[in-house]
Amino acid sequence: MNRLYDSMEPRVIDDGMLKLAVGEQGPQEEAGELAKQEGILFKDVLSLQLDFRNILRIDNLWQFESLRKLQLDNNIIEKIEGLENLTHLVWLDLSFNNIETIEGLDTLVNLEDLSLFNNRISSIDSLDALVKLQVLSLGNNQIDNMMNIIYLRRFRCLRTLSLSGNPICEAEDYKMFICAYLPDLVYLDFRRIDDHTKEVAEAKHHYSIEELKHRENLMQARLEEEQARREELEKHKTAFVEHLNGSFLFDSMYAEDSEGNKLSSLPGVSELLEAYRDKFVIICVNIFEYGLKQQEKRKTELDTFNECVHEAIQENQEQGKRKIAKFEEKHLMSLSAIREELEMPNIEKMILECSTDISELFDALMTLEMQLVEQLEETINMFERNIVDLVGLFVENVQSLMAQCRDLENHHHEKVLEISISTLEKAIKGDLDEDLSEDVRALFVDKDTTVNAVGASHDIHLLKIDNREDELVTRINSWCTRLVDKIHRDEIMRNRKRVKEINLYIDHMKSELDNLEYSDILD
Amino acid sequence: MEVLREKVEEEEAAEREEAAERAEWARTEKMMRPVEVRKEETTLTQETLRDLEKKLSEIRIPVSAELPAFTKDIIDISMLPVSYKTNTPKEEQLLQLADNFSRQYSHLCPDRVPLFLHPLNECEVPKFVSTTLRPTLMPYPELYNWDSCAQFVSDFLTMVPLPDPLKPPSHLYSSTTVLKYQKGNCFDFSTLLCSMLIGSGYDAYCVNGYGSQDLCHMDLTREVCPLTVKPKETIKREEKVLPKKYTIRPPRDLCSRFEQEQEMKRQQEIRAQEEKRLKEEEERRMEAEKANPDALHGLRVHSWVLVLSGKREVPENFFIDPFTARSYSTQDEHFLGIESLWNHRNYWINMQDCWNCCKDLIFDLGDPVRWEYMLLGTDKPVLSLTEDYSGINDEDDVENLDKEDEDKSFDMPHSWVEQIEISPEAFETRCPNGKKVIPYKRAKLEKWAPYLNRNGLVSRLTTYEDLECTNILEIKEWYQSREDMLELKHINKTTGLKTDYFKPGHPHALRVHSYKSMQPEMDRVIEFYETARVDGLIKREETPGTMTEYYQGRSDFLSYRHADFGPRVKKLTLSSTESNPRPIVKITEQFLRNPAKPAEEDVAERVFLVAEERIQLRYHCREDHITASKREFLRRSEVDSKGNKIIMTPDMCITFEVEPMEHTKKLLYQYETLMHLKKEEKLSRHQVWESELEVLEILKLREEEEEVHTLTISIYDTKRNEKSKEYREAMERVMHEEHLRQVETQLDYLAPFLVQLPPGEKLTRWQAVRLKDECLSDFKQRLINKANLIQARFEKETQELQKKQQWYQENQVTLTPEDEDQYLSYCSQAMFRIRILEQRLNRHKELAPLKYLALEEKLHKDPRLGELLKMFT
Repeated sequence: MNRLYDSMEPRVIDDGMLKLAVGEQGPQEEAGELAKQEGILFKDVLSLQLDFRNILRIDNLWQFESLRKLQLDNNIIEKIEGLENLTHLVWLDLSFNNIETIEGLDTLVNLEDLSLFNNRISSIDSLDALVKLQVLSLGNNQIDNMMNIIYLRRFRCLRTLSLSGNPICEAEDYKMFICAYLPDLVYLDFRRIDDHTKEVAEAKHHYSIEELKHRENLMQARLEEEQARREELEKHKTAFVEHLNGSFLFDSMYAEDSEGNKLSSLPGVSELLEAYRDKFVIICVNIFEYGLKQQEKRKTELDTFNECVHEAIQENQEQGKRKIAKFEEKHLMSLSAIREELEMPNIEKMILECSTDISELFDALMTLEMQLVEQLEETINMFERNIVDLVGLFVENVQSLMAQCRDLENHHHEKVLEISISTLEKAIKGDLDEDLSEDVRALFVDKDTTVNAVGASHDIHLLKIDNREDELVTRINSWCTRLVDKIHRDEIMRNRKRVKEINLYIDHMKSELDNLEYSDILD
Repeated sequence: MEVLREKVEEEEAAEREEAAERAEWARTEKMMRPVEVRKEETTLTQETLRDLEKKLSEIRIPVSAELPAFTKDIIDISMLPVSYKTNTPKEEQLLQLADNFSRQYSHLCPDRVPLFLHPLNECEVPKFVSTTLRPTLMPYPELYNWDSCAQFVSDFLTMVPLPDPLKPPSHLYSSTTVLKYQKGNCFDFSTLLCSMLIGSGYDAYCVNGYGSQDLCHMDLTREVCPLTVKPKETIKREEKVLPKKYTIRPPRDLCSRFEQEQEMKRQQEIRAQEEKRLKEEEERRMEAEKANPDALHGLRVHSWVLVLSGKREVPENFFIDPFTARSYSTQDEHFLGIESLWNHRNYWINMQDCWNCCKDLIFDLGDPVRWEYMLLGTDKPVLSLTEDYSGINDEDDVENLDKEDEDKSFDMPHSWVEQIEISPEAFETRCPNGKKVIPYKRAKLEKWAPYLNRNGLVSRLTTYEDLECTNILEIKEWYQSREDMLELKHINKTTGLKTDYFKPGHPHALRVHSYKSMQPEMDRVIEFYETARVDGLIKREETPGTMTEYYQGRSDFLSYRHADFGPRVKKLTLSSTESNPRPIVKITEQFLRNPAKPAEEDVAERVFLVAEERIQLRYHCREDHITASKREFLRRSEVDSKGNKIIMTPDMCITFEVEPMEHTKKLLYQYETLMHLKKEEKLSRHQVWESELEVLEILKLREEEEEVHTLTISIYDTKRNEKSKEYREAMERVMHEEHLRQVETQLDYLAPFLVQLPPGEKLTRWQAVRLKDECLSDFKQRLINKANLIQARFEKETQELQKKQQWYQENQVTLTPEDEDQYLSYCSQAMFRIRILEQRLNRHKELAPLKYLALEEKLHKDPRLGELLKMFT
């Protein structure tokens, strides 16, 4: 039973407690002595046991980054917290505590075994992140709603579940219900579920499960659809032509244009609008398709480039490896020769030879690397030129298409203006159609108002078009710059790394030779 | 050249006589069209020809005596069917036709050799060659294709040379006789082969022509053995990959072009010289190998098989030499000319010139200019529609039309030869006595029937260094159905290397075992079927001081293990039973990349220097690196200068890490690694030791297997499988007994009485009753007779006994002990007989009424009487 913490002194997880625990549970005997000498870093610890310590609050565990197994059972913990850093955790034992709600487990994606036995939990939730969960122990809690079981259906790997000692276990249907709703479960309350029970349970709850399944399937399908749509949009976005495969832009032009909407109710304007819309959409679709095509082109360009660079680097590495292998073979021979040699002058001569060998290797490797750097630089520059050209061409073409849009808009504007003027004339004459609404009538009081209204509508439209164009151009340009930057940066990084590697190796070889020298002298 | 001259002469003569004979020819011609002979310029004078003739007549042909002649005396003709001994009227007619044809032919072409049309068969009856062909499809699937067919014929028959190498034989035996005696000349060979090929659907023809000496004598000593020819390695040309758009430019070439060119020139010169030398050598060798010129070149008669394209997906015309079963192109220079050819339907004479061997011949049998046919059959090959079509003028066609009408009626009669049959035993044994030796150029091939040799040897190829076949180069022996799965044994005599090849299924999963001696710890290579082994071992190589093993597909990714052994330490108290393994100096193990581990933690190679107490580790190289991490552990002293135990010091482990990591610097980590490696070292040593033991075991097993060489017998092999034979015989016996019993139960009681009645009539009721009564009374009588018989015997026996007893009583005093013994034994025997008879009588008395009743019951139930009797009762 849960300890009452007023009868005992609650304790805090502090450095001393952790050190003690780590020391006790660490390596033993000879290895233990070594460990003591060196000290163990918390971040190297794989398993930690902190049971029966009257811990009230989980704290100070953030250093244990690589911890796999954590036991905090038989304490007086009230809240699951402070475990966010332990992302490698596979096994977590929090049984015999005073936890009331499940929480704070959202980062533990690797968790397979979770024990919350003998706590005060009343509902199962907040476990969504634990996709690998296999064993879940929730016995002796206060779970009283069967619907909690349905929540567990999402854990595909769940094989073992214990729920005994909860109010729901009183229900006569308890076992059957669980077997039916969790068909992959193998052990329930520490007992194997036999096939017969499974069949009976399934038969019993057949209809409700079918319904549930249907609902789940529908949900799944919807999710997939959503996903597909998102992916599609993402693809369009990478081509910088999203929402151009329809009337979206056109609609957005009129969305904020109150005057335009009012004007469209004028006789003749709606037909005009229809024609305008059709033409506009056609141009938009043109842009869209062109954009996708260009995206494809850029992609193949990039792929070829990557492939070629990769090949070049591989080839270069192979050469380097061959050189090193050859060197090592020779080096090993000469080292053993030096060891066996007795005459001091000879030894010195041989050591000298060795060191020249090493510097020769260094030169050779560095030459290779420099050569590769040069070659790659050339290739990268070529690629940069090509991709910038491609982008430029694309922008140019899109701009010309957009200009067509603007022309259409201008044309439409003129027409609308014409109609408006004529309507105004009519209005002045007083023979306006009766069926025009008050709002519209308000526009036709004098020439300025009318022209302004039409002009405002036109301005809004142009602004929209310009915005779209600007967005496209900026985005593609920034993409291009980023790409080129990244390629340059990567190449520099690669070069740095290789040079460092070569230096490290050469240093090691030299120090090995030096050591040999010293030891010889000492001998 | 002789053939050329002959031809020329022949043509000259033909030319001269052609005009004179035109008229007569036209009248007599029934089945032949005018023969057109190609005109050629003649350059030879009559004198030279005469000289030649003289020379030719002086040449004597040596007939090899060691080959047994296949004469008529051996053949038993008494058992042959009547079709062999007589001719049907149709055959007679055919023979007349053939005679007529032959006459016309010899008239028109007097200088060509007489046709080979109707040689005598084994019963001295002339038979037309086409009827000697008996198309037969063999019941063995192996004989469906031409190559296996030809191989069978060449294996099955022993070659007998022609009695006169310049003439076709006078006799042509039926294929059945040839098969029975398993020998024949080239005509017998090709007749049999042609029959089989036509039977399995080929467009095959027997050819009567001229062959080279090698061909006629089945002399393969100038041919390279097909088994020694190594298959040409197909050199895969690497496809040149088109340089991609962004392929990096190669670094600038700083070598002097001029120097390169000079170098190239020099190289070329050297190569040219080398080539020249090789060529000369080759020529010299060729010269040496070339046969002596044959005096009878072009005159030697040979018979072979021609297969025309079209049927059975044969793409090209080709020849098959029935002696050697080899196929030749129709251009091959072994074939020097064709006189005639025939299949089971027709007979064609070659009207083309053979001055250039068979190279210019066109095998379009529908072309009457090139091929003169004998029977105007409807199913002869149609002339192919090439430009030759214009060669036939329309008049001829019109003329021929009415002739065709007459002759169409005559078909080739059915073959007189009995069905060709090959028993399964003969088919399996193949060669006469199951053994055949074929000499080749620098090689000898021996073949045996399966199960003939106790050790399963089926063929052996011996390769020699020289043409005379004295110095053996290597021997290859093929085995079959051996229990140890040995398939091929290859012995190289020059290096002394022996290589055994195994089929899958050896208890040790052996695949190849090559060795020089069977002693352990010597040079040897053993390859395994790695899928059959748990440890995935592919190959184990041994030299006197090392052992190398190659693995594949292991879960620990071990791919290679190499062990160096030191010299054996002499033990002072060496007992023979105790094994004394050699000390291991060094073990090298290599591992493949384990994709589950990061490269810098995945060991690529570890070396245990056992003697120096050192362990070297080399890790795998990460994909973007060119250097690999290394680690070396030294285990020098366990105790430091002050006597304290050293657990681990930094100088015990020399590390090079490509990307230095924090945790690996710790002594704890190094200590744990070292402990782990120590364990591994122990395991590896144990493994090496076990491998050694396994080699010993394999060697022992191999020796045993060589000793015993048991052969496996398929359970379907009913003849050889003793177990199944016994079982089958037992089954047959049971069947036989069962049959006997059935016959007994079916014994008809009524039969003797039914016979008395008129047959075919239905029984009347009265007859039925009478029948029944008769039957019963007869049976009663028999029972009584039997009883009487037993009674009589019994009485006789008793009387005799009494007499004997009387006699004994009388002469009891004078009897010798022997007589007395005799008497006593007689008495006991007689008593026994009497007792038995008494028992029989009693039994008979008991059973007789029952038997009677049983018969009555049976008669009641008998379907023949039952109805009537039931009505009666």
